[in-house]
Amino acid sequence: MIVFLLILHSLLAVALLGAITHQTISAWAPASRGAAGSFIVRMRAVPPTSYVNAVIVLYALTALLGAIIYPSYRLNVRIVLEQMQLYVPNGAFELKEHFVALGLGMLPAYWYFWHAPQLAEYGRTRAVLTALLAFIVWWGFVVGHILNNIRGFDL
Amino acid sequence: MSDTRSLAKFVIVFAVAYAVLYVLSVQYNLALFTYHAATEEFHFLVQPTSDGPAMYWYGWLVTSGLGALAIAALASWLPVISVNRLWHGAAWTVPLAVMLVFVYILRRYFLR
Repeated sequence: MIVFLLILHSLLAVALLGAITHQTISAWAPASRGAAGSFIVRMRAVPPTSYVNAVIVLYALTALLGAIIYPSYRLNVRIVLEQMQLYVPNGAFELKEHFVALGLGMLPAYWYFWHAPQLAEYGRTRAVLTALLAFIVWWGFVVGHILNNIRGFDL
Repeated sequence: MSDTRSLAKFVIVFAVAYAVLYVLSVQYNLALFTYHAATEEFHFLVQPTSDGPAMYWYGWLVTSGLGALAIAALASWLPVISVNRLWHGAAWTVPLAVMLVFVYILRRYFLR
């Protein structure tokens, strides 16, 4: 059951990663709407507002699944990391835990500033909140991936 | 218009209060409940490790979430706090600052 939930957690994280990365790129480096061109130009031209609800739902679901499988990590993985004195991966996961928690607290503001009237004065706040959430999601994804494969990395 | 202003106040104050309460909850261990993973038991407030490790993360989330909810609801209800005086950038600067505080708190993992 835990393996199934772990795989589901990582699949949701992949979807979240795609959505938040597209939105961050289009928020920070927008291309003109409907611009034809390369893959990069089309990626920059996506309407960022269309990702907001998907990002919130995926973030909440991914965090919820992470919270459900967390006790298994605490009992079966972290103790081993401590015994093997693997401080860096252990610390990276501690940061993941706190960053994800802080991201949860930013979601209402993220939702509001993307849904509020598109005032120019909110532009920076929208973009930075999105970038922060993107950083948290990328950090969580990479750290989770490394910990899942830690024997292969020989850290 | 009034609803929009109240909502703006709520989300800004919530983001700030949640981040501050979360770091305080972690630093001073103010978990509303403790989960003992080995025995699958929940206990009210902070309980020490018994059989297996005690998990406080869930408790920290609830402490900061409920605390921020109360503070944000109060701030959005109080007319003396004007949304014009609230800097909307606080919704990201304070959480970002708290993220950096956590990097500092956990630096021992990376400096050994």
